[in-house]
Amino acid sequence: MSPPVAVVGGGSFGRSLARAACRTGQRVILWSRQERRPDAGESVTTTTRLPDLAEAELVFFAVPSPHVAGLADELGHSLDGSHLLVHVSRGLLGAELATVSEVLGSRTPCRRVGALAGPLVAKNLADGHPGGAIIGSAFPEVIEAVSDAIGGTSLRVYGTDDVVGVEIASALVGLVGLALGYALRLGMGPGTLAVLATRGLAEATRVGEVRGGLARTFAGLAGAGDLIAAVAGDGRPEVEFGRALAEGLDLRAAAERAGAYVEGAALAAQVAAFGRLAGIEVPLSVGIAKLMSGELSAEQLAEALMARPAKRE
Amino acid sequence: MKLLPTRPLRLPRLRTYVPRPEDPKIFWFNSERADIVDEVVRRIMERYDAEESAELALNDAAYHEILRLEADKSEGARRKLDYWRGILRRVGRMSVEGKHETLREVSHAMAKDVAGNFDPRVYHFASRFLPGMLTAAMNPSNILQHVVGGGGRLDGLVASEGPIDKIRHISRRGTVVLVPTHSSNLDSIALGWVLFREGLSPMVYGAGKNLFTNPIISFFMHNLGAYRVDRRVKAAIYKEILKAYSCVVLERGYHSLFFPGGTRSRSGAIESHLKLGLAGTGVEAFARNRARGIDRPVYFVPATINYALVLEAETLIEDYLKEEGRARYIIEDDEFSRIERWVSFFNKFRGLESVCVIRFGEPFDPFGNHVDEQGNSLAPDGRMIDPATYVSRRGTPSVDARRDAAYTRALGKVLAEAYQRETVVMPTQLVAHVMFRRLVRATPGLDLFARLRHRGDIAVPYEELTAELGQTRDRLLQLEAAGKVHVSNFVRRQPPGNILDGVLATWAGYHSARQVVRVQSGSILAEDPNLLLFYQNRLRPFAIAIAGDDEADQIAAREIAGMEQRA
Repeated sequence: MSPPVAVVGGGSFGRSLARAACRTGQRVILWSRQERRPDAGESVTTTTRLPDLAEAELVFFAVPSPHVAGLADELGHSLDGSHLLVHVSRGLLGAELATVSEVLGSRTPCRRVGALAGPLVAKNLADGHPGGAIIGSAFPEVIEAVSDAIGGTSLRVYGTDDVVGVEIASALVGLVGLALGYALRLGMGPGTLAVLATRGLAEATRVGEVRGGLARTFAGLAGAGDLIAAVAGDGRPEVEFGRALAEGLDLRAAAERAGAYVEGAALAAQVAAFGRLAGIEVPLSVGIAKLMSGELSAEQLAEALMARPAKRE
Repeated sequence: MKLLPTRPLRLPRLRTYVPRPEDPKIFWFNSERADIVDEVVRRIMERYDAEESAELALNDAAYHEILRLEADKSEGARRKLDYWRGILRRVGRMSVEGKHETLREVSHAMAKDVAGNFDPRVYHFASRFLPGMLTAAMNPSNILQHVVGGGGRLDGLVASEGPIDKIRHISRRGTVVLVPTHSSNLDSIALGWVLFREGLSPMVYGAGKNLFTNPIISFFMHNLGAYRVDRRVKAAIYKEILKAYSCVVLERGYHSLFFPGGTRSRSGAIESHLKLGLAGTGVEAFARNRARGIDRPVYFVPATINYALVLEAETLIEDYLKEEGRARYIIEDDEFSRIERWVSFFNKFRGLESVCVIRFGEPFDPFGNHVDEQGNSLAPDGRMIDPATYVSRRGTPSVDARRDAAYTRALGKVLAEAYQRETVVMPTQLVAHVMFRRLVRATPGLDLFARLRHRGDIAVPYEELTAELGQTRDRLLQLEAAGKVHVSNFVRRQPPGNILDGVLATWAGYHSARQVVRVQSGSILAEDPNLLLFYQNRLRPFAIAIAGDDEADQIAAREIAGMEQRA
């Protein structure tokens, strides 16, 4: 019998991953801090004990970035070099923009780590709506295991060894998604949205290349693919969060409306700090950071961004 | 030099040394050599099993060898040229068996050329007399006493530090892959001596074939377990043979030494982008042994070799600036080949205590985990874990080239971090850094080359310089306390005035043709920015942390930190 698939994190994304893996016929163990009953009709085993996950080979890690380090330490006690550890976070850590896979690789004994990203939305993943995803890992067996666990006729899973590119793309597209939601609510037209999306992606690529990622990763599923899904309205939490903010809700209320943890305020400030250190321009992230801290209003921000001198693309 | 025999110089086999049980494993090397060569050839044949790949390998080897040999006018080269041209002509018409047979012949010849030799007699001789000879070079007036008396002053000149007992202990349990930084051709000699002095096993190592042109060095290289790496040979199959060779040697438990930076650091900086090259075969060797059920751990031991003076500094920095990092791989006419530079090199250390500090770092397993005193791999939480889990899936260990390549890349990062942490700041580097920072401050925004034209323009009053040295030293000590770097005892203990005086005397003596700095009416002048750059480059990663608080110093430090990252 093949080993079960483990999922760390009982949030909406963790639960959707568990369901997706169940659908391909895997045994699934879902860990969450609070005890919870499995969703009706699912053959997911749930647990609150991390050591129960040791029997798995592939472990999905779906944890908001503020909890990544602490939970990685805890999880590390139960894992060893044989586990394949894959996260789905859109977060980055610190002003150096350490990626979650780097943190997992240094705080747990696992080295075969990866990042799952692309146009994945919890609801579609859970319901089995057709879509695609990208898994970044330096290890071919990680790509293979993820593809076996959740890939299939309804989910095309592509692979790349540019892990850092995938992680930076995923995080920054999340930020652009937030800005898109904001802009949509303010009633901005398709032209403005297109500028926002493309310049946002260019900013993401700049950051990614400094961190050692490849530009072509940003043109793929992890970057452009993910962004197109956001613009097309896949109902992702980042866009909802941006919309809610534009309506004047505070951060807590906006997060509630989005229905999932959104890496927003902190991430924008981190990217802004990274840009300063690395000497690259990150106007969108700087703008979002100012917007979230109340330093700028949306109108002022739009004005400031539009007033930037247009350069060669 | 050209007339020298290229055949290995070896002692006659009249009285062969019979290894004793307590001797290090390498003493048996010669009896296994033929076996190792055969195993290498077997693996190559396995790899090029398909007819097309065998033909491609032969074509590629013939093409590259012909290119290389056509430039060589010697008699031997002409004969080899005919051989390769013959292969190129016939390979298309050969049968499958013919191709495989030719490939076997070619690989066997190449593997034999690579294979080393370890003569315990030469080892005993070298370990008894080499230190004496080196010490004698430092103090010619007492030559006789030093040659006879052995070690002597060399002990004081070459210092070694780090977890040496632990390394000695774990080298009895597994295979040690020693991976030091590389800044001088003296590295292997200094390292060989320290290994002997500390009771660590001698190591198998690959030396560039260009080193074998010096007859004395060649003799030692040939008889102390070195295998020859001929950087001029570009054939793909040759690289495969080198890899297979080092892998087989590691699998069999021979401790090996590799310089992962490849060539000597041209800029003087610590290597920061490491591809590991042959050292990476340590991962594969571990996996292969485990897949065969052999429990023999592999330990990577980083080491930094820190010189107060670098013998070849002038040539290296010129080369760096000329080629902007696209290194000429083979420099045959540098200071290393000029004996008078050796003498003056060793003579100039009076007053700086150690010439050279070799610092060993904490050993780690092929997956970047720390190991305990017994050589067990430790998880980040300190729990013991089995390294075999990294090369296993569902409990079965296997060999997987792509997986091991990924581990090797990750290891390159771990090693680069270790190099930085284990760097020992020498007095010359500290003084050079402070002077260079002054130069950068005085020339804001200029590019490196424009800056380097400022010869003798920057003058710093003696008192001002010692004060700044003192402050920078104190910040370095804070970094050291935080575990981010180390400083040499001289830098740690001496008052800044003594540091400056010692460094001035040392530079004045060795780099005598071109002054590094000049003293003029109570001020120190930056006379040779190139050499200052070379010595200060070692401190580049720490520039921001050790700069003063004022804005100008911080800006200068950021400029230094942002300078070309190529080693």
